[in-house]
Amino acid sequence: MKLNLFQDENLKEEKVDIHYTNMRPVIKQLIDTVNSERPTLSGRPADEDIDDGEEIILDAKEIYYLDYVDRKLFAYTKDGVFRIMNTLANCEEMLWNYGFVRVSKSNLINIYKIKQLKPEVNMKVYASFDNGDKICINRSYNKSFKDYLQKMRRMG
Amino acid sequence: MNETKKEKNAKVKEFLLELCCVYTFVSVTGAIVNMLAGTETNNLNVLVMFATCTIATFVLFLHKLFDNFSPLFMMVAQYLIACLLIGAMLLIISKFVEPIKPRGWFEFYRSFTIPYIFLAGFFYYRVFSETKKEAELIKEIQELKGE
Repeated sequence: MKLNLFQDENLKEEKVDIHYTNMRPVIKQLIDTVNSERPTLSGRPADEDIDDGEEIILDAKEIYYLDYVDRKLFAYTKDGVFRIMNTLANCEEMLWNYGFVRVSKSNLINIYKIKQLKPEVNMKVYASFDNGDKICINRSYNKSFKDYLQKMRRMG
Repeated sequence: MNETKKEKNAKVKEFLLELCCVYTFVSVTGAIVNMLAGTETNNLNVLVMFATCTIATFVLFLHKLFDNFSPLFMMVAQYLIACLLIGAMLLIISKFVEPIKPRGWFEFYRSFTIPYIFLAGFFYYRVFSETKKEAELIKEIQELKGE
């Protein structure tokens, strides 16, 4: 994608024009950024007390997957595990355009962070990530997972 | 409460629809095989075929119960449930209609087990090939985004 930047100190209002062929996730992300709606999740390190820990803004693209355990939502990143004060359903809706897909009742994974997708001998399919974690793709979610991949491929 | 009843009705409808499809497929295939082999069937065979189709459809319908287990476990469990139900059916036939000899039991289980193993093998193969395709798709999406 070609990027043109024009500096004009006399400009009264800053503006961004986007010329696109079709509305792909990357274009949607640009729009969200311009509209300051780029999805970020605020979280606290999981090993700290929820009231004591410093709040950290997590960029969605840095998250490997989200895990809902004991009514708590955790985001797994390269830098560690963070507790997210949001619901899995909200995150699913918010991150849909950013490569996040539901693969079980309690997991939302980032397809851009999948290192390997492999079935085991017992026929359970696992997505593995750079940090060594593996998330099972539940059989009931397999069709929606496949549809999502095809949709992302078409839109890509 | 009303919603649960509606869900139950929808499931029963779905089950009956699948049973109709399965029975039609099996009976038409049976008729073609009989025509080609020059053999004939009788009323009891038709009823046994219908009962077997009902058991098979019911057992396959249980797959949602095994969502948290591996597909391999699901297939083995479904096979064992089907064996139990077929055993019960053969006992009923043996007691009330016509005694079944040990050879008859063996033949019935064999004719049921062989297609099951083939279908299970096909399912096994499909899981692996579908996953391979999905993995390729993910790589393609990642390359497109330049990750």
